[in-house]
Amino acid sequence: MKIKDVSRALKEFWMEFRKSTSGLIGLAILAISLLIVIFEPVILPWHDTNDKWRSIDYWIDNPSLAKPAWTNLFAKEKSPSTKHITSPKIESVDADGGMKIVRYVFPYDYEFDKAPLDLIFRASITGSVPITISVERPDGTSIELASHYEEGLTGQGIRMAMSNEAKDSTFDFLKGYETEEAAGSLNSDSVPAPSVIFGTAAAGMSSKFTALKGKYQLVATAMLLDPASSKIENPTFIVSGSVSGVLGTDDMKRDIFSGLLAGLKWALIIGIVTSAISVLVGVIYGITSAYYGGIVDTIMQFIYQIVSSMPLLPVLIVIGAIFKPSIWFVIMVMVVFFWTGPVMTVRSMAFQIKEETYIEAARALGANNRRIIWRHMLPILIPYSFANMALSVPSAIVYESTVSLLGLGDATIVTWGQILHDAMAGGAVLNGVWWWIIPPGLLIAILGMSFAFLGFAMDKILNPKLQTR
Amino acid sequence: MYKWFAGKRILKGVVIYAIIIFLLSCLFNTVNEKTMRSQIEEQVRMEQTRLKNTQPEALQKFAQERRASLIRQYKLDRPMLERILFRTADILTFNFGKSTTIKSSDGERDVIKIVGECIPRSLILFTVAAAIEIFLGIFLGLKQAQKPGGKLDRTTSLMTMIVYGMPTWWLAMIIIMLFVYTVPLFPSGGVHSVPTPTGIMFVVDMLWHTVLPLFTLVILGFWGTAFVTRNIVLGTLQEDYIMAARARGIPENKVLYGHTLRTAAPPLITMALLGLLGSIGGAIVFEGIFSWPGLGNLYWVAVQTNDIPVLLADLAITTGLYQLGLILLDLIYGFLDPRIKVGGKA
Repeated sequence: MKIKDVSRALKEFWMEFRKSTSGLIGLAILAISLLIVIFEPVILPWHDTNDKWRSIDYWIDNPSLAKPAWTNLFAKEKSPSTKHITSPKIESVDADGGMKIVRYVFPYDYEFDKAPLDLIFRASITGSVPITISVERPDGTSIELASHYEEGLTGQGIRMAMSNEAKDSTFDFLKGYETEEAAGSLNSDSVPAPSVIFGTAAAGMSSKFTALKGKYQLVATAMLLDPASSKIENPTFIVSGSVSGVLGTDDMKRDIFSGLLAGLKWALIIGIVTSAISVLVGVIYGITSAYYGGIVDTIMQFIYQIVSSMPLLPVLIVIGAIFKPSIWFVIMVMVVFFWTGPVMTVRSMAFQIKEETYIEAARALGANNRRIIWRHMLPILIPYSFANMALSVPSAIVYESTVSLLGLGDATIVTWGQILHDAMAGGAVLNGVWWWIIPPGLLIAILGMSFAFLGFAMDKILNPKLQTR
Repeated sequence: MYKWFAGKRILKGVVIYAIIIFLLSCLFNTVNEKTMRSQIEEQVRMEQTRLKNTQPEALQKFAQERRASLIRQYKLDRPMLERILFRTADILTFNFGKSTTIKSSDGERDVIKIVGECIPRSLILFTVAAAIEIFLGIFLGLKQAQKPGGKLDRTTSLMTMIVYGMPTWWLAMIIIMLFVYTVPLFPSGGVHSVPTPTGIMFVVDMLWHTVLPLFTLVILGFWGTAFVTRNIVLGTLQEDYIMAARARGIPENKVLYGHTLRTAAPPLITMALLGLLGSIGGAIVFEGIFSWPGLGNLYWVAVQTNDIPVLLADLAITTGLYQLGLILLDLIYGFLDPRIKVGGKA
């Protein structure tokens, strides 16, 4: 086939395909997913999701099992969303003895009804730098929360979580306002530090949280003992809210939206690679079987029957449980089972084509078997298998996620099935953590649906038998 | 003629099953033998502790002899191919050995008992679901085929495509979340409540536990059956004799259920049963989610406890059932399609 022929055939196909709304929807969803995969590094909220999905440190600042941020729209009491505050105002003062005092002031607008879960300060430090964290509240009071000093650092990151380190100082602050009776029955563990920091200071604040809304200033004061050799880099405050990100977080504090984005390319790879290879193999197998006929056909049909009468999923699960395979191995096993799909249809079609006169002519001209199969039969039958290809993508995706759901997935990547496995294991069903269960499955279903749309639309065009008279 | 056809088909099924089991035995030979050896070690150690008041040398000698004899007994000293063949024969005669951790409900560790008590529970759920599915699907498909391109046809076709790539188990998770924890109407899983009620309440209790799994299975399943029915019936409806029947003034319902359905029955049953067999795969996870203690749930338990003998036996039984289904399918097809009975080509 020449390029001109191909382009004409494609044009004709497109004219037909355009008429099918569902086919176009499928194509659009597929195109969007491809765009998302291409621009993944830009849109991924947590840039290292792919490598650090199972790293506990990477996600430590997030709240655990937080609802999606947009649930605030429907909630009566607004919850603060997780926020990273960077780029502080820097005020530096020279002090006695060559020391330098640097104040990093981070403004924070707090307009919510619920207290954040935590307030975390992070920075990378070189040299010996004592740091004090304090907060200036809208009501004019200020609390000195915690301080940190470590000698001889060489650029390591420090992390100060106020929920832990500011326990005593916030308790002291609370005691100044609370009735003696109430304060007497409390200790520094009874009221979480963030509730004190962001709460209205009054008697009764220990039993009921009332938000103190307004502009807060979070201040980190660093004393550079030796300004020449010490420095502070990337000072950041993280307000860890009870809602977080586009789709919330799971019990390991991971951002689910990032996980889903990272899983998209694997779903596409698994689906497309598996179906493309297996359908190609199946078509060639069917043609070969029909073309040679006789004993070859009998043997090939017997092999086909053996493979097609093995249940794929149980075998896949047992292989997964015993060999702990990588994703490529899983894809390979699926190909070993999937190729049987188009064989029978292709074989019966090839039986007809083989009797056509142009095949006879080709043979008379001295073309050998391989040439006839590859140049004359395959190009005619391949287009018919495109529909088959699209239709077997969803099952490949579902099979992989099923294996992952049982916890047998490849541990070096993120797939939707693995997220669902974590959700099952983490008791998401029991606790109604819908933002952890619904999105991954919905994505599997939507991707499967778009391929089904594509496949059925192509099927209608390529197999005119199904068209209604 | 049908007898010959049936006999040939059954024989072929048995041969194919034997080959599959042989292939699986090859694949899992290494891990299988590893478990066997550790089971032998365990048995020897157990027997050693029973022998009290024996000299250490004698004890060691006993252990060595016992080990050697057990290895001989399990034929672990033979060449590789022979071992695999023995394993295959073991599986084909349902001689699965003992499990490593899982116990049956009577506390036995015979794998065949463990797997055996799971089979009926799985069969009940899935045959009932299949019956409902096929009934609903054929009904809906016929209605669709009557007016192709109509409103019903389009919406149903759309639904078929929407649920096409939807994992059953995911829907199961959502349904459990909705109807068990958010609106507590149904139990979360299992076949019976604890303690199990007796008498008529026993049946009611079981039905109550069956509602959710059945509902989930049917709601995802019957679209596919309907779609296939529609396509097959649509093909038949274009035949000339249907037009002739209509021209003779035969009522539409009779044309549909009498003339069309009878002709379309063989491929219909095939597709429906094939769909059911396909759902065996999905059932594995499905049962796990509803903790329905069938064959599928057994995979979960075996994977979690890393019980290799149970896992392999479960696989052998599932494959066997699948094979049985395929044979049954061809037999029904042959029965419904008279051309096969008289030996013609279908």
